[in-house]
Amino acid sequence: MGDVILTMKGIDKSFPGVHALDHVDLEVRKGEVHALMGENGAGKSTLMKVLTGIYKKDEGTITYEGKEVEFSNPREAQDAGIVIVHQELNMMGHLTVAQNIFIGREIMKGKLIDDRKMNEEAKKLFDRLGIDIDPTETMSRLTVGKQQMCEIAKAISHDAKVIIFDEPSAALTEAEIEELFKIIRDLREKQLGIVYISHRMDEIKVITDRVTVMRDGGYVGTLITEDCTKDDIINMMVGRVIYEEPKTESAVAPDAPVVLKVEHLNAGRMVRDVSFELRKGEILGFSGLMGAGRTETARALFGADPKDSGDVYINGKKVDIKKPQDAVRNGIGYLSEDRKRYGIVVDKTIAENSTMASLERFMKGIFIDKKKENEAAQEYVDALNTKTPGVDQLVVNLSGGNQQKVVIAKWLVRNCDILIFDEPTRGIDVGAKSEIYTLMNKLAAEGKSIIMISSEMTEILRMSDRIVVMCEGKKTGELGIEEATQEKIMHAATLRN
Amino acid sequence: MDKIRNNTIVKKIGFNSLVLLCVLVLLFILFAILTPIMKPGTTFLSYSRIVSIFNYAYFLGFLSLGVTFVIATGGIDFSIGPVMYCAALISGQLLTKNGLPIGACLLISILVGIIFGCINGILVAYGGLPSFITSMASMMIAKGVGSVFTKTQSVSWPGGWYQNLVKWTVGGVEIPTGIIILFVGAAICAVVLNQTRIGRYILCIGSNREAVRLSGVDTKKWEMLAYIICGALAGVAAIFYVTVYTTVLPGGGDTFNNDAIAGCVMGGTSMAGGVASIGGTLIGVVIISLLQVGILAMGYQSQYQYVITGLIVLVVVYADLRSRRRSN
Repeated sequence: MGDVILTMKGIDKSFPGVHALDHVDLEVRKGEVHALMGENGAGKSTLMKVLTGIYKKDEGTITYEGKEVEFSNPREAQDAGIVIVHQELNMMGHLTVAQNIFIGREIMKGKLIDDRKMNEEAKKLFDRLGIDIDPTETMSRLTVGKQQMCEIAKAISHDAKVIIFDEPSAALTEAEIEELFKIIRDLREKQLGIVYISHRMDEIKVITDRVTVMRDGGYVGTLITEDCTKDDIINMMVGRVIYEEPKTESAVAPDAPVVLKVEHLNAGRMVRDVSFELRKGEILGFSGLMGAGRTETARALFGADPKDSGDVYINGKKVDIKKPQDAVRNGIGYLSEDRKRYGIVVDKTIAENSTMASLERFMKGIFIDKKKENEAAQEYVDALNTKTPGVDQLVVNLSGGNQQKVVIAKWLVRNCDILIFDEPTRGIDVGAKSEIYTLMNKLAAEGKSIIMISSEMTEILRMSDRIVVMCEGKKTGELGIEEATQEKIMHAATLRN
Repeated sequence: MDKIRNNTIVKKIGFNSLVLLCVLVLLFILFAILTPIMKPGTTFLSYSRIVSIFNYAYFLGFLSLGVTFVIATGGIDFSIGPVMYCAALISGQLLTKNGLPIGACLLISILVGIIFGCINGILVAYGGLPSFITSMASMMIAKGVGSVFTKTQSVSWPGGWYQNLVKWTVGGVEIPTGIIILFVGAAICAVVLNQTRIGRYILCIGSNREAVRLSGVDTKKWEMLAYIICGALAGVAAIFYVTVYTTVLPGGGDTFNNDAIAGCVMGGTSMAGGVASIGGTLIGVVIISLLQVGILAMGYQSQYQYVITGLIVLVVVYADLRSRRRSN
């Protein structure tokens, strides 16, 4: 490790209602691979966005190459030599590799683009990095791994001095990861400073020199990777005090019947051989880190996305769910993590949204019985304590928490017995959050069965009767609430197999 | 400052139909004043002028009402004009050359429209093809089929009882039955759009298709129905077209697409889907008919009507876009 190239000190950033970064420190040296770790929502991405000028910091200093800096956009950061390699690739698939690398700064010959020269330059760049890619190849024909290499090459061609890798290995195969590590080691050799964001514990041990851990927007500490164990890091990631009362024992009767049984569900890359059972009156928590395949599992189960194989049994009877209609017919309701896109029709009224899944019950001949519709909507506005002047209010005018209640009302009007709640409290303020919790407990007590996908550890421990943990499309653990701890869950959530 | 501007814009959108009605009245007054000046010795205010405005509005109205349903889903149908022609040609040929009864021919006309609507609907809803391309292709097919069926001959509908659909002379008094039928048709469309499941789902699909699908609604079926309604109304439009103009030339009809879609968009139906106004469509159609007739009355060619309609559509769509961005 060489001299310090980048220091972020006391970085503080608030958004309305959220203290996203609470005096966070980060120091990166030349010739170092520095891991940045933390749970979902710990603030890693926000910190990197502050660094590259996407967000403006409220407090703190950034010192880069001995000078205090403040970039106002990623372009400025890039020109200064700080580059991010994103998890999602920003490539134009129909252009060639070389055209992608030189996008926005094409090499010109007079008024025309000089493709030949760009191909030569790209070739030189690849040779320097020891990457074997043909610069004239069309980007979309490369594997994801190779595309990632191109992204890295592009970053380096900007004369980068600090490169930030944001979960670079998530989409790569073993062999590709090996190749990626070779390049990263090579860059370290060349005295670049590297920030490596990843959830994969094993990789952290293999490739990084130091690790900085964040939790809930705060700075926890920095360790020398060599001197610490996986458990040390996990303890730092989850070692929070849980203020809310976690559940200590399951509220489900031991002889409660199994209402939903999923066997060997497979759907694409993100759902691989997932099996689980859901009992009557149970809240089954689905925990895991970003990209664990929980939402994908729920969507495949619900018929929103096609599944490759697997059997679903409802009340012991095998059902064939091909599309959401089939799921709804079988009494399953799905509350999406992305409310605005998949949950509600924002420019329609509360009444219209509430009866969306069961409109056939509100018909008088060929006409919609609007009186009956309004009554049903009003009933659930009252029952769920939705704050609105009336059921003819457009949903777009409601707050996040109240919008969520409208989606829940939609499934209650339909009288679904199995409810999938995907991140039910995302983007909802604290008050509405506890209301949703109370509601879920009430529904479970009434005999509804709930699958709750959540990225918040506290939520999982507070609500679940049983917890399924997933990692990279596979089920890696199942814990009763009695035995569940943050550490055990995090262990399973980082288990690659 | 921003707040005030916001407010007035919001108000404008709320009174969209009212504004449109004012535009209609102003245009009418403008034509009434300008016509005698531009073409001395003529007057705009005459019974026959009103009739010719209505005559244009009948078939255009049904085309426009139909395409309103498709646009409400977020789609588009460019085949309606040629489908109308195709329906008029096929049924007219059967009437004049094959001697089918008039009643049957009118039904066949609607049937031809329904068939094209089905084809468009199935390809868009179930096949996942873009509606723009699909309807452009079926536009060409409709033009071709109509021409082939009549061996590229024009068809002239003979007189008959069906002409009472437009005007009915009872005891020397001429009743403009056409406008009554158009209003009744529009009222039915408004009920379907606002009071029935078809309309509810069509509007919701236009707003947020995925949310509707994930509510367990058969979105494909309802989307297809929008195209079928559109096709059926193009068939109805064909009946009114032949009633007024009697002769249909093969291989045409595409200019009416523009008029119909313009009428619909002018009336406040959003091209992005989810928002539709039948009343607005009706006013839009009358404005376009007025422009068509008024500009001819002033001694200009109808090409000027296209320029003005085009400009109005641009202004309306831009205003729609602005208000949408603001509400986001």
